[in-house]
Amino acid sequence: MALSASLILGLELAPTWAGEQTKKEPNTEIRLAPGDDKTSYENTDYETNSLSLEYRTGKAAGLYEIATSPQLGLPLVSISTNNRVDRAKIQLGRKLFFDRRLSRNKTMSCAMCHIPEQGFSNNELQRAIGFEGRNLKRNAPTILNVAYYQGLFADARESNLEQQVWSPLLAPNEMNNPSIGYVIDTIVSSSDYSGLFENAFGTPVSMQNIGDALAQYQRSLISGNSRFDQWFYGKEESALNTQEIEGFNLFVGKAKCAACHQIGRDYALFTDNKLHNTGIGYENSMLKPSQYVSVQIAPGVVTQVARSRVDSVGIPPENDLGRYEISLDPKDRWKFRTSSLRNIALTAPYMHNGQFSELEEVIEFYNRGGVAHELLSPLITPLILSKDEVKALSAFLRSLTGNNVEMLVSDAFAVTIGDSD
Amino acid sequence: MNLFKTTGVNRGLMQIAIASLFFAASLTSHADETCMSPYMAKIVGQEDFVYVWTLGQENLGDEQDKLVTIDVNPASPKYGKVINSLSVGGRNEAHHSGFTDDRHYLWAGGLDSNKIFIFDVHTDPAKPTLYKTIDNFVKVSGGVVGPHTFYALAGKIMVTGLSNNADHGGRTAMVEYSNTGDYIATHWHPTDQDLRGAEKSGKFADGYGYDVRALPRRNAMFTSSFTGWTNYMMDFGTMLQDPEAMKRFGNTAIKWNLHTRKPEKIFDMPGAPLEIRCAWQPNHNYCFTTTALTSKIWLMYEDEQGEWQAKAVADIGDPSKVPLPVDISITSDDKGLWVQTFMDGKARYFDVSDPFNPKQTYEKEIGSQLNMISQSWDGKRAYFTSSLLNNWDKKGDQDQQFFKSYTWDGSKLNLEFEVDFKAEKLGSAHQMRFGAYGLYGMKRPYETKQAEVNSNASDTLLASKPE
Repeated sequence: MALSASLILGLELAPTWAGEQTKKEPNTEIRLAPGDDKTSYENTDYETNSLSLEYRTGKAAGLYEIATSPQLGLPLVSISTNNRVDRAKIQLGRKLFFDRRLSRNKTMSCAMCHIPEQGFSNNELQRAIGFEGRNLKRNAPTILNVAYYQGLFADARESNLEQQVWSPLLAPNEMNNPSIGYVIDTIVSSSDYSGLFENAFGTPVSMQNIGDALAQYQRSLISGNSRFDQWFYGKEESALNTQEIEGFNLFVGKAKCAACHQIGRDYALFTDNKLHNTGIGYENSMLKPSQYVSVQIAPGVVTQVARSRVDSVGIPPENDLGRYEISLDPKDRWKFRTSSLRNIALTAPYMHNGQFSELEEVIEFYNRGGVAHELLSPLITPLILSKDEVKALSAFLRSLTGNNVEMLVSDAFAVTIGDSD
Repeated sequence: MNLFKTTGVNRGLMQIAIASLFFAASLTSHADETCMSPYMAKIVGQEDFVYVWTLGQENLGDEQDKLVTIDVNPASPKYGKVINSLSVGGRNEAHHSGFTDDRHYLWAGGLDSNKIFIFDVHTDPAKPTLYKTIDNFVKVSGGVVGPHTFYALAGKIMVTGLSNNADHGGRTAMVEYSNTGDYIATHWHPTDQDLRGAEKSGKFADGYGYDVRALPRRNAMFTSSFTGWTNYMMDFGTMLQDPEAMKRFGNTAIKWNLHTRKPEKIFDMPGAPLEIRCAWQPNHNYCFTTTALTSKIWLMYEDEQGEWQAKAVADIGDPSKVPLPVDISITSDDKGLWVQTFMDGKARYFDVSDPFNPKQTYEKEIGSQLNMISQSWDGKRAYFTSSLLNNWDKKGDQDQQFFKSYTWDGSKLNLEFEVDFKAEKLGSAHQMRFGAYGLYGMKRPYETKQAEVNSNASDTLLASKPE
């Protein structure tokens, strides 16, 4: 039989992959790092270790139980508002958190900056990028254990999560919603939300219950029971190795870290919930940048590009005066809130502006005594740590990863990401 | 009985038949704008229009993306003028576009909003209309973000993605649609976790995507790799200073089996390989691409054993200064390759008669910044536009936004006319596609008024398609 053109075309039109959209089996192993792994990218022997998005699937976790049960090393969350913990509200907040439709042009959800496998932060940027690619001036912080902060944002300008969620929803350079009503209308017009608010709150969608739902999900992301907790609070001697224990001793001793990243007798938040000036903000505001910029253009390949060339395609970085921008008190210039160090191994890059890629760089910054100037916190002084002591501190910090993070990430992977249909 | 269910034996026969058909087609079918799909109807003479897919700029005109039509036929009374502007709503990060194989519709994508705008360009080629908008690309594709290249296959459009809805990074897929806008399939790029049967020939399998081109007679399809939403949307200067962001660029190109859509071989190609241009001559089994960050021309070629290889064959300018080669265009005789470098605004002509030894023979600064080129099939006309990405374009006075029309006499470019897209309140000029009355059996209106004897009006020819 001669093959006719139509038959050939027919074959072309109906090959074996037609309609292909296979759902993969859920991941049994969760990698707590970007699926697009760039470890050692600065070296010429870099090799990819990439994961497939088709396998980025997970299993729902009992978030209510996590939110209401004590975890080793952490206190139960106290809620001063009327937003009592509730299963339906947590689930609704979880759905909202991953919904990209909740931005002006339907491309940004909360989770686009607080990426689950990247410590619910963003390992791939120093400072976050928002609506239409607009610059933000700060690193996207982790929301793991965000329930324990007394002041939210790096300048502590917001007092509770129910209110806080509206800042990114409405900020022109974040999700860019033009009004509260626009957000509400977006949800009301999405059929997959039909009845969900009424079920959870007994009332239709409103500004209040959107905030309540998102706050409930974030408060359920509690992660304690780290190896440090098992050693310190659980008295399991083998939970930390010798180097990590040396790091702990430095942390509470010579290195003075615990002065701000506090460890209590019954629990450790690793933050004093206060604001301090370490000099890093001063450095960025006041000191002149170098005339050349080191730019990595391929694995193991770095070139020096003239500052003028970089500036020709860039907008100047937005100044960041920290707490001063809220209080307008000159003494508050370049003060930033102490970040918790829990899960710090998962949340690079570090500092409020993501300036440091590695934990060792952060420790070396404090080892130098921060950046000297008249407003520098008196708690920041040169530490004279040896190289081994820096390594020990780093090792200790890496023991602060909660034992349920994989479960929380898997739970996040199980959420259907909200996109336009 | 399913006509298309084949055994291993008769499937092989069919593939031979298909290959033969494609080979025969390649002898007769060429496209204009030498970057176009060989499946497409072509213009071999004078084009009438250039459609410019244009980004809206804040505080300029109506601030939204638009398809701008420019009359480029010197015989037209409107030559050199903007004759139509069709706004689509929003700043979608307008980027690339491509015709369906019948050339009746132009698909144009928004890298940010993920919307795909389908324009009717055949009813009135001088005045395209918006036929349909696809706004569920991310959802139906299973999470692909950033529709980039629109490449005509037989009755279908292959859309390359740049990113994904999980982390806005560079892992992505190609998404296949019918010409009528119906979703067909998602083809994920291979990763280390799932190579999908491909050979990882070097150290990289990053899963990134960018452009796609095909060599049908070799049953081959090629893709390149750029970066994800986070990087292509952010301020360029900020990104260059962010060491984390600079790690998130593609370093691979992939050879696919065109028919099965399966990846077969992953090549290491460090530094973000972008546009792919395949040779046109029937015995030229190779394609060029250039790496944006490392500034090299790469050749993907079939060796004497029938194995596909990739090799860096030339530097572009001084790579240490990151001139940023962006768009490229191969001449229809495969002897020349135009390479545009964004940072210095130069068009560079390389003699690629020996594809393994490209030599730059000419360069000209077109503007303060430069991205796209479209050249006519005969190589005598070349059109240039300025914009790369909204937040990557130069700032202040250096942000020139233009469409410039040149003639090429084989030794130098001669400016014929230009349109200042800022002065015209249009926006940032990006990708160009050609239009012509003759494609649709129409005569130019200013020629129909002439006597019948002069109705050799259209020297635009519609070529036969491969099928």
